[in-house]
Amino acid sequence: MSAGTKSISDVLSRDVSYSGEGISVRSLEDNIHQEREVQDGKVGELKLLRERNVEIQSAMTDELKKLRKFSDYIDGTATGGGFWAGFKEMVSYIPGLKSIAISKRSIEELLKQQYHVSARRVKEAAEYVDTLKQSEQELYKEINRINGKIVESAENERRALDYVLELRDSKAELEAEMQALEAGSVEARKIEADIDKVQALLSTHSSNVQLYGAAENRYASLKDNTRKLAETIRNLGQDIQQYTTAASIKLDMASAQIQAIGRAADASVVMLEMKKSLDVMTESMNVTTQFVSDTQVFFRQNLDKLVDELETFDESTTKMLDENLKKSKEIEERRIQEAIEKALKRRAEAGGGAGEPPASPST
Amino acid sequence: MSEMNQLVTLHTQSLREPVVTPYLDRLVEALRAARLNNSFPDRRRLQGSLETMQKAMAAKLYEQVYIDARAGMPNMASFTRVVTDHEVASGSLERMSDTATYEARREEAEVYARLLDKRRYYESISGQPYAPLDEQRVQLRRHDPATGTAEFRIDLTKLDATGVYVRITIELTQVAGTWRRKVIDLDADGESAAASQAFHATVYRNASFDAEHLFIHMHDIEGVSVDRVQRGVVGPVLFHLPHDQGRVVPAEPEQANSRMAHAWQRWLETTTTSTPELMMSFQSDIAARDVREEKSNDPLDSLFSTQIQASERARYDNVRQRFPFKVFKDRKFVVTPGLEDLVRAVCEGAGTKNLVYRMR
Repeated sequence: MSAGTKSISDVLSRDVSYSGEGISVRSLEDNIHQEREVQDGKVGELKLLRERNVEIQSAMTDELKKLRKFSDYIDGTATGGGFWAGFKEMVSYIPGLKSIAISKRSIEELLKQQYHVSARRVKEAAEYVDTLKQSEQELYKEINRINGKIVESAENERRALDYVLELRDSKAELEAEMQALEAGSVEARKIEADIDKVQALLSTHSSNVQLYGAAENRYASLKDNTRKLAETIRNLGQDIQQYTTAASIKLDMASAQIQAIGRAADASVVMLEMKKSLDVMTESMNVTTQFVSDTQVFFRQNLDKLVDELETFDESTTKMLDENLKKSKEIEERRIQEAIEKALKRRAEAGGGAGEPPASPST
Repeated sequence: MSEMNQLVTLHTQSLREPVVTPYLDRLVEALRAARLNNSFPDRRRLQGSLETMQKAMAAKLYEQVYIDARAGMPNMASFTRVVTDHEVASGSLERMSDTATYEARREEAEVYARLLDKRRYYESISGQPYAPLDEQRVQLRRHDPATGTAEFRIDLTKLDATGVYVRITIELTQVAGTWRRKVIDLDADGESAAASQAFHATVYRNASFDAEHLFIHMHDIEGVSVDRVQRGVVGPVLFHLPHDQGRVVPAEPEQANSRMAHAWQRWLETTTTSTPELMMSFQSDIAARDVREEKSNDPLDSLFSTQIQASERARYDNVRQRFPFKVFKDRKFVVTPGLEDLVRAVCEGAGTKNLVYRMR
């Protein structure tokens, strides 16, 4: 008897300490809510970035089409119709220029403005890549933190369960002892008191078993969502980086061509204007000859290469942009579907769970 | 032979370290030493752009600087990078975390170290001047409503398609009349002026031509009387940048100026220097009523009148008699010590006396 009493006394007086802050239904809800707020913030950020990404990609596709028109125009000069036939059509694609007999705007200036706009757009898109990479890192750090909480909850759950099992065994022992005693006797009353103490401890710690178990599951689910979010952000970042890198390189390589095309296009207008008012200088000026020969040399030497490059840029980059747009939409659809499934599942689970009082241990 | 001497595309070379730093350093120094007046592009803004390129390369935000192989100067792609960086800087700084955050986390992941460098770069360029790709201003100098005349000054600064950076100043008088289409409009209070689209386009398209041509072209516009056309040109630049694998030089200098290119080629064949060398030239080209003597003091560019074929002389003289201007051309140079003799020899050979500033 004394050995058993000593054992039960140990169990009753044990200080079971759980790591971390204490847990309750309220505190668990609050913690999960805080974690969800971090996630929601990132989802909101991601949504804005993806909208911006689609907008930028659409704008870049439009600008590619404009470049393609210039490429088609250059191709047309080789076949016939003369300079002006193709020229009029080409300038009609330039914003702000509807119809011209002789262009009122410098083509070189317009092309430079277009180039500047495109370069600015690419730069803005590239800035988002760093924002996304930073968000991704922050989410991985969040995942590490949540993992810490999962491990802590699992350890606490095990600690609580071990103690609950000990309490259950102690209670069974006490009840067996009670059977051997006379009802109402002093010894029986003492054992009854101990049974009540054990029961109180069982209530508390079995509740902890459930709470820590629930916390572990919920943090695990949160971690999965956070990881998916981090992967989505990484994919978006790679998506943007791919086209900004390609677009940046092409713009860098195109700057000289654009200036040369603009100058060549303006040259004809200049020649016509010069011819109107400057008979002798139109005939004699070296620079006129230089313009004509420059234009011819440029087209002869670079036409095929330029058309090839622009077409390759057009076809492969247009294809890539279209694919990216399609993928972005697929990701969006998937995300919406997952959110709906999760909401439905949560509703189903809410029918029974941690909010209910713990079941009484068997008597 | 260094691959940086190859063209990567039309008229474009790609300069990388270790030659970019000495190249940009000397360009900045040359601009400072040139003592440019306001007939040239704004020195402060142009220097600001070059300094932005220096900071961007130091922060490793770009791998290269693209230059025009003819003019030896940074090309439109390089200047546009500067413009767009300035344009996005404030927005990016607002979205980024603060410096302390990146400093605390730079060891955690590569992205934080890179963002720290980028943040510092944007902070360093915010509010600093930079050169525009194109900029035109029209200023009213005098307005006489009684006679319907107004005097204007038009300033066009542009990065020319030939690779040089040019500022064109035109002073003209416009006589208003209900039957005349105005090239420059005054607003209702008679104070603010804007050039018509067609006039602006004419000036823009002819920006590559010399002042003489531009004067005649503008003066022929109905209702306009030109007093002065002035061009201030920054460039071309010649450079010699030695490094471990050889040296880097402009790939197409003959397309900028054949006279200088010829002398330059001979210098390249004989030089043994291992220090970076650079020459930058600054041309003044004026066609104006108040020029006393028609003359070219530019060793690289003669007067057009001296190049006319004999068979065209009479017609040309006839045209010139209609227009009340004379032409004066000049050029000054800024050089590293190793190129001073070359430039002085070119000037001496052309019979001109030019300012040659020496960099340290």
